[in-house]
Amino acid sequence: MTDIILQVQNVSIIYRSPRGDVRATNNVSLTLRKGETIALIGESGSGKTTLSLSFIRMLPNSARVTQGTILYTRDGVTRNVLELSDDEIRRFRWSDCAMVFQGAQNAFNPVLKIRNQFADTAAAHGYRDKAWVKKRTLDLFKLVRLDPQRVFDAYPHELSGGMRQRTLLALGVMLDPQVVILDEPTTALDILTQRAIIDVLKAMQQALHFSIIFISHDLALAAEMADRVATMYAGEIVEEGPVDEMFYRPLHPYTLGLIRSIPKLNHEQDHLVSIPGEPPNLITPPSGCKFHPRCQFATEKCRVDPPTLVEYEPGHLAACWHTDKVIEARPAAVVQG
Amino acid sequence: MATESPAVPSGPAAPSFPIARHAFRRFYTNYTARTVLQAIVTIWAVITFTFFLIRLMPGNPVEVYVDFLVNQQNMTYDEAYSRAASQFRFDPNVSLVTQYVEYMGQLLRGDLGLSITSSGTRVIDQIARFLPWTIFSVGLGLLISFTLGVILGTIMAYKRNTAIDHALSFLASVLSAVPNYIWGLFIILVLGVQLNLFSVGGLRGNYDPSLQPGFTLEFIGSVLKHAFLPVLIYVIGSIGGWMLNMRNSTVSTLGEDYVNVARARGLTSSRILLAYVGRNAALPMFTLLAINIGFIIGGSVIIEELFVYKGIGSFLFWSITQRDYTSMQGVFLIITISVVVSNLLADLLYSRLDPRVRVSGGK
Ligand SMILES: Nc1ncnc2c1ncn2[C@@H]1O[C@H](COP(=O)(O)OP(=O)(O)OP(=O)(O)O)[C@@H](O)[C@H]1O
Ligand SMILES: [Mg+2]
Repeated sequence: MTDIILQVQNVSIIYRSPRGDVRATNNVSLTLRKGETIALIGESGSGKTTLSLSFIRMLPNSARVTQGTILYTRDGVTRNVLELSDDEIRRFRWSDCAMVFQGAQNAFNPVLKIRNQFADTAAAHGYRDKAWVKKRTLDLFKLVRLDPQRVFDAYPHELSGGMRQRTLLALGVMLDPQVVILDEPTTALDILTQRAIIDVLKAMQQALHFSIIFISHDLALAAEMADRVATMYAGEIVEEGPVDEMFYRPLHPYTLGLIRSIPKLNHEQDHLVSIPGEPPNLITPPSGCKFHPRCQFATEKCRVDPPTLVEYEPGHLAACWHTDKVIEARPAAVVQG
Repeated sequence: MATESPAVPSGPAAPSFPIARHAFRRFYTNYTARTVLQAIVTIWAVITFTFFLIRLMPGNPVEVYVDFLVNQQNMTYDEAYSRAASQFRFDPNVSLVTQYVEYMGQLLRGDLGLSITSSGTRVIDQIARFLPWTIFSVGLGLLISFTLGVILGTIMAYKRNTAIDHALSFLASVLSAVPNYIWGLFIILVLGVQLNLFSVGGLRGNYDPSLQPGFTLEFIGSVLKHAFLPVLIYVIGSIGGWMLNMRNSTVSTLGEDYVNVARARGLTSSRILLAYVGRNAALPMFTLLAINIGFIIGGSVIIEELFVYKGIGSFLFWSITQRDYTSMQGVFLIITISVVVSNLLADLLYSRLDPRVRVSGGK
């Protein structure tokens, strides 16, 4: 396929810790196409941030990528991100792949004006034409519906949280990246501001055609944004498929559990089922299928044999021995419109 | 801002002078007016306190001089007393309160008065003669130790928890734990006297007295040579603090979101070091530096005495031993003013450097 931008193959990542190696990402493969949005969903600690940090090689020093390749394609040239030199990875960041970090409340340097932070980003990537940089900055402010003149000359502390997040999105697409990673981009914001950010994001994507990796605990938001959804559990992708398939016809008991635990305003409380148990310890993960201790369908086979991803429907993959039981269980649980 | 509506009377006296009260509140909420008022009150309080404190010290200028004449020159007590009394402009029998009122009156006219023990010399001239040497030597030391400390502290932070960091941290802790006069004694006694690496006597004074002061290479060289050891001690004594402060400040700045985001933005490491990490980590350093300027004089007393460097510190020391009240008082006034001014400077500097506290025009 020619429109594949990012192809992640068999990536495993560990964190070295005093208590042992944390296997935060295990043998993960993922394909991102041009203009596509993939949502990563999964409980806290399932490895979403770890995986996406590896795409721009921003993992902390204690982390090691133990296997795999991350192939990035632009203008017909494919390179392995993990093998780029220091200067190549520096240029790759932001101009090819921009990332909005989880919980980064102070993404801007407090002592520099916003316009200087746009200018130095451009300069770092070789854009020397000051007039162009200024025009680009002001255009992007319009795109994210900010008052261009006011924000341009402002210091970060003079902007509200919502304005800062929009400014960061504008900065994120300044150099026309092909991939934008958004790790919980709206969690710190109130519901109306969240809405505004999502609308802005959609408008930006329509104008600039970048691909998005969208990480969110808000499944409704993920459903709205994504073309494809990948469910992560204990550092592995356990199910992946088109957004409608995932939410209406899930094949993995964990995805089913996540969907069931969404509170629905028009439903009785007893429809709200949480997943029993706790996410596993990733230093000594469970044998076989890592979800088996919490799975209502688990059998002896699940305890021993780790399932691999199998394509059940076109583009819809799941790693589970008992998808048939999930299919039986799901009519009562699927998302309503 | 507060509305004009009258506050609920809080006591019987409250409504009596609404206009005066209002005017005072208006005055006091004005930042500049308040700062100036606070500065004046501080200076007055310190002058008053030191005025009485130094006069509570045992002995007075006449007694000290009489002691000197009797013991050193073998005069009789009466002879010595009449000689001292005629030489000094000081009468121990005038009451303290009268002296105080007289002194404050003088100060208000901008007059620091005459030295008690060096008759005919104005205190202001003494200060003008000695102060520049101290500002030069301590200021140079401060500048060097600040610059080196900030650079080394940044290196330590970037290399945190490596052997370099551990070694430099240890060094910095040792340097800042030992008082600077101990280093001074060490240098004089071990390097000078024992090892004879330099001639202790030859470095007395501020420059070689056989030279004519002026902008000649020889003279400037001599000035630098004589200032070298005191400056070295000032650097040794304060560099450890700068290093550790800058290290900690930089380590915490390195953990900030915006530094991480800057890396994700593909900025070069030199740009991140200077404009992102350095700029933010150095903010508190500049405030500390400004505050330290206030301690230039106070910090110089023992070191100048030790190295026989003729600055304001050794002048203060000499005034104390002679109980020259007016000279002491003059130096204390200068110390107080410089501390107050440097604190103002620190405030001002901080608001210049950090846009978050910069006062925005009207409101
Ligand atoms: N610096 C680190 N050192 C050791 N372990 C880490 C480190 N960072 C993350 N981990 C571990 O790696 C696993 C995956 O963490 P990660 O932050 O990727 O999860 P996440 O899916 O992004 O969670 P959340 O939804 O809470 O953001 C967790 O078990 C976490 O404890
Ligand atoms: Mg995360």
